[in-house]
Amino acid sequence: MITGYRNNSRGVGVRSYQLILPSVVCSTHLARKVADQVGAISFAHQHGCGIIGPDVSGVNEFFVALAGHPNVQSTVVLGLGCETLQGNEVTESITKDYPETEYVVIQESAGMAGALDSSIATAKSLQGDAERVPLNALVIGIEGFPNPELLQQITEDIQGAGHSVVVANRYKESSRNFGDLVRAKCHLILSFPDPQQPPSGYPLIPVITIANAESPLHLALVQEFDCQSNVNRKDLFQKILDVANGEQSKSEAKKIGDIVVPRMVRSV
Amino acid sequence: MNIDSQLTGFERTNGRWGFRNYILLLPLHNALNQLVDEVRTSHPASPIITSVSHDWSGEVDRDWERIRRVFSGFAVNPNVGATIIVGIGTGDEESIVNAARSRRNMPINYLTLKDAGGFEKLRERIAQSVSEIFPSISQTVRTPAPWSALVLGLECGGSDAYSGITANPALGVASDKFVELGATSILAETMEILGAEHLLAARAKSPEVGQAIIDVVARYEQSITYEGIDIRGAQPSRGNIEGGLTTLEEKSLGAAKKAGNAPFTGVLDYAHLPTEPGLYFMDTPGHDIEQLTGFAAADVNITVFTTGRGTPTGSAVIPTIKVATNTEMALSLPDLIDLNAGTIADGTETVAEVGDRIFQEIIQVANGKLTAAEVGGHREFNLSRLYGSTQ
Repeated sequence: MITGYRNNSRGVGVRSYQLILPSVVCSTHLARKVADQVGAISFAHQHGCGIIGPDVSGVNEFFVALAGHPNVQSTVVLGLGCETLQGNEVTESITKDYPETEYVVIQESAGMAGALDSSIATAKSLQGDAERVPLNALVIGIEGFPNPELLQQITEDIQGAGHSVVVANRYKESSRNFGDLVRAKCHLILSFPDPQQPPSGYPLIPVITIANAESPLHLALVQEFDCQSNVNRKDLFQKILDVANGEQSKSEAKKIGDIVVPRMVRSV
Repeated sequence: MNIDSQLTGFERTNGRWGFRNYILLLPLHNALNQLVDEVRTSHPASPIITSVSHDWSGEVDRDWERIRRVFSGFAVNPNVGATIIVGIGTGDEESIVNAARSRRNMPINYLTLKDAGGFEKLRERIAQSVSEIFPSISQTVRTPAPWSALVLGLECGGSDAYSGITANPALGVASDKFVELGATSILAETMEILGAEHLLAARAKSPEVGQAIIDVVARYEQSITYEGIDIRGAQPSRGNIEGGLTTLEEKSLGAAKKAGNAPFTGVLDYAHLPTEPGLYFMDTPGHDIEQLTGFAAADVNITVFTTGRGTPTGSAVIPTIKVATNTEMALSLPDLIDLNAGTIADGTETVAEVGDRIFQEIIQVANGKLTAAEVGGHREFNLSRLYGSTQ
């Protein structure tokens, strides 16, 4: 039995975050300040301007996936004003399906101090306690390089309980696979990092990290992982339920890991 | 122009000069961004600590040489007195650390998550390392610096129809004066000289340099065309068009004015160092922060950034002076702007007079005056990539 949060139009999540989404690199610093002051999530990136071709629509679509994620309760888009990817259009493409979204633009806010004040006021106006409701069908992402036997067992257990599994292993780096799992609207993630990669979390999605016993790096960092690779299926499944019900995973408690926005071509 | 003012700075072992004396915390994996940021904000030495965040997670792909050059060059920017490189503990990271150490003899500590055995212990080690370095950094004093100490970066972003007639030519006046005095000045943003390259090539000190300017623009346009995109259709940006610019060529003719009328001494690849004083062109994207990061990796120690629409960004290691192209924007966004060149269009000042104000402002900022971007805590940093990350 899992109790989730009714995050309005975004569905039922296992967390209820507000996202301060900078639609361009130039507003990332302000977005971080706003997020710190209102208890929201934000991240730095290098997109939104100086981008061309498929990256213009690709970055916009990724922003919509972040802003519409079921663990997100509301979104404030923060733009500069003169950028290639116009913040008002990013906002429109989000509000179409997720109306609890607002837009603030720096160049029309009388400077940084004005933009900070209006962003904070806007963010607070969107906040509220999400109703706690049963969550019967979790979507669980599995990222990286699990041993095949454990993968099969845990997939059986998850599906047997009526939940579903999405696997992402296009990349060696967890932070890049997480991008695929955002698009798949995963509520939480089991991460089996590459032996050369550290345990890493994701700001919007709780991540349970499982160490690789063959990796000297993972062995050196053993207490930073939630589980070892010899974890039994029953304990791992229980961990999923606990974290879905609000227990913080290790990477979540330490706020390890960042949101990476994929790009397809060079910048200009 | 009054040149009685004196530059003061910090002389480095490699002959470069710094105008700030930071302790830089440089993470080499995005999983370490948060940790590094926490040390910067919570340590007692916080006012002289600077740091960056980025999205790299150790991937070694076709852009690896560019990435290594940027990280290693950034680590040894002359505005930095000591650097703590924070990594996971891989051979690729060591190669970045070694490249940095080979460029400058300075305190460079390399701390890894693997050695520390956990995030908390790594945080403690970084904080301890800062505490150990702090006394020697805080006791370093400024001394009088020659004009050649200045490596000036020229940048524009959020350009409008005023850029080419107010802020950019005024910056050109200041740049020419510094070049004449023996400093280095670097124009960049290849996209933003597209259409004006023949005018710049005609100012080259040698036919080879002139040809290099033509070639770098042709190479750039080819790399964009290769992606199946017409750059002249993607630029000017929508913000530029709203600001009154009509074509990329018009934007370029205005952007090139930042480099005044001095002859071009050479052409630099992205994040590559000028070796002797003079005016250079560096092959960078027009993306403001990728350009600024490339400057930082090439020992640029002051940047002047002209803007028509108003933009808040800055660098973790280079003081960045914002010059407004029009009075209306300068008044509406006061905490982003250091200096207003809109007075030229208003008819209350000449290009030469504003050029002189920019010249004096550069000296003052070099000597310690904080820019709007520094006061605002702006430390934007981006890795420039020539290839996508999803191939």
